[in-house]
Amino acid sequence: MDTLIGAAKPSHSAVSATSADLLRTEDLRVVFPTATGQARTVLRGIDLSVKPGEVLGLVGESGAGKTTLARSILGVPPAPGRIAGGRVIFEGRNILALSEKQLRLLRGRRLAMVVPNPRGELNPTVKIGDQIATMARVHLGLDRKAARDRAFEMLKAVQIPDPERRMNAYPHELSGGMAQRAVIAIALICDPAFVISDDATSGLDVTVQAQILDLMRKLTAEHGSAMLFITRDVGITAHFCDRVAVLYDGEIVEAASRNALFLSPAHPYTLLLLAAFSHNPALRLGWSVTAAAAAPAASDACIYADRCPLAQPICRAEKPPMAELAPGHVVRCHFPVRH
Amino acid sequence: MRIARYLLHRLAFVLPQLLGIVLVSFFLVKSIPGDPAVLMLGPTATPDAIAGLRTQMGLDQPFYVQFILYVNHLLHGDLGTSWQTTRPVLDDLIQRFPATLELVTFSLILAIAVGMGLGVVSALNPKGWVGKLTDIYGLSAGALPDFWFALVLIFVFYTLAHWAPAPLGRLDIEVIAPAQVTGFMTIDTLLAGDMQAFRSAVSHLILPVLTLGLINAGPIMKMTQSSVEKMLASDAGGYEVLCGIPQNLVARHALRNALPSIVTIISVLYGYLIGGAVLVEIVFSWGGAGQYAVQGVLNSDIYPVLGFVLFSAIFSLIVYILVDLIYVLVDPRISH
Repeated sequence: MDTLIGAAKPSHSAVSATSADLLRTEDLRVVFPTATGQARTVLRGIDLSVKPGEVLGLVGESGAGKTTLARSILGVPPAPGRIAGGRVIFEGRNILALSEKQLRLLRGRRLAMVVPNPRGELNPTVKIGDQIATMARVHLGLDRKAARDRAFEMLKAVQIPDPERRMNAYPHELSGGMAQRAVIAIALICDPAFVISDDATSGLDVTVQAQILDLMRKLTAEHGSAMLFITRDVGITAHFCDRVAVLYDGEIVEAASRNALFLSPAHPYTLLLLAAFSHNPALRLGWSVTAAAAAPAASDACIYADRCPLAQPICRAEKPPMAELAPGHVVRCHFPVRH
Repeated sequence: MRIARYLLHRLAFVLPQLLGIVLVSFFLVKSIPGDPAVLMLGPTATPDAIAGLRTQMGLDQPFYVQFILYVNHLLHGDLGTSWQTTRPVLDDLIQRFPATLELVTFSLILAIAVGMGLGVVSALNPKGWVGKLTDIYGLSAGALPDFWFALVLIFVFYTLAHWAPAPLGRLDIEVIAPAQVTGFMTIDTLLAGDMQAFRSAVSHLILPVLTLGLINAGPIMKMTQSSVEKMLASDAGGYEVLCGIPQNLVARHALRNALPSIVTIISVLYGYLIGGAVLVEIVFSWGGAGQYAVQGVLNSDIYPVLGFVLFSAIFSLIVYILVDLIYVLVDPRISH
């Protein structure tokens, strides 16, 4: 793997939209209806862009809306969520305006997803080889034999041990790591232009996790696929991503090139995230995270104000706009940390 | 081979299970008040004659002696004699049980076709008109008594429209019944090559099969609908949608993964209907086994009742073994 600082690609303008984007979300909003009738906003207007071949990391804690974002990009927010506004532009077309049929032709074909907990997501009664081959039959129109051959090649490419035998194995007969490799095979068999990895390695132990990450990076590079790499572990993004965006409570609070984010994080939340993963106890303790406030923040306040160690009166009265600190480094904070 | 070993394992338990069922039903039937000796001899019998008959029938023996005697007879293939028909219970049941089985089997096939069809369509599109229809249908199928529905069908299709034959038995009176081979009238008439009798058998089956089939499609439909909906909403179903798998393929996988629960409800219905079809049998004068057993209960004629319980128990055990085999075939996660 690359070192943290060594191999960063030149950073692009972080969040701003240009025509060269492969995928771009514009003000994407998702709400969940609740029993009280008042909808809960889970995504509060997400602006992200990914260029062809680029790996964008998305970091956030549990409940920040990571999975909702991943699935909303594919047009299927987790039930009972509903896309309340915004656009998802992929290869120049607004995905959210496509018919279900047109969307189906994109999913799995041009836009693929690697899911966490694959043993629960794979169909328990269909053999692994057939599940991978189905993708090639459905999306590439291959016949049964050709699709199975291609599935077998994919199983070899994801370095699953004993691929002949795994072709005829059922999901419950695979280990977590093997199932994760099978899901990567499903995601990549159709050569997608864009891959979303939704916390794909969260259930695996650390060594397997490293193998899977290496594999994903190698294969997406070979296929020239761009990637949205979603994780809870900010440390992984240091090894893996060209740019990193930080998601907090349904809002992007900071986005920057990898080096800029790790060397000069500007948002207090980003700092705390990095501190939480730091090996330096002084840093961890000095920036200890306050407990989440019970009362929801007012709509015109900074969403992070109640947990922010630097919060000032203005933070509770006025929502900070997204501001560009340096080219490609944007942050949503009244008092960005200067380094 | 695994399946063969599993079958042997299951069959080893069949005999003790049957013995338990016979013991419990023997005890329950014996606790029904009423003295068969009194009923057999009629109101003018002398106490001496009654006592004599009781001794002759073994009714003066202790309970456990009576039970051992009964089991001993069973082991020799003797299910006792019905005092109402004065025929061996085994002969009666061999004639009547297939009549019920034929009725119930065809009804269940209709119920499966209607129930699974509507269930799948409504699960795929719960807000469509089929979804609304199934809601109403499920409700009414659960609420309508089957004998009442049978009477309505008879009134419409026999009394008014004259499309169906009179609800009196399994064949027209002028048709000669074929020799019994399977006991299924439709199959036996075909085996005998008697097309007139075959048509008669089919026409007599239509109304009772419609009655039982349409009523019992309700639970199958509900189970299909809810379990297919659950499979579609499961992680695996959602993942297939994320992968752009076409809807009909997603639906097929969902139905396949929902099969175990659907097969379960079908097997429960199959066992239940053997006795539960009795009201419909009575309405259509079907001469089935349920009718026979109910007559037995009402007249303290215990051997027909016990024989019926034994037959249904054996039948249910066979059905449940088949269901377990289907589970193994459908779900690779189950291995014994």
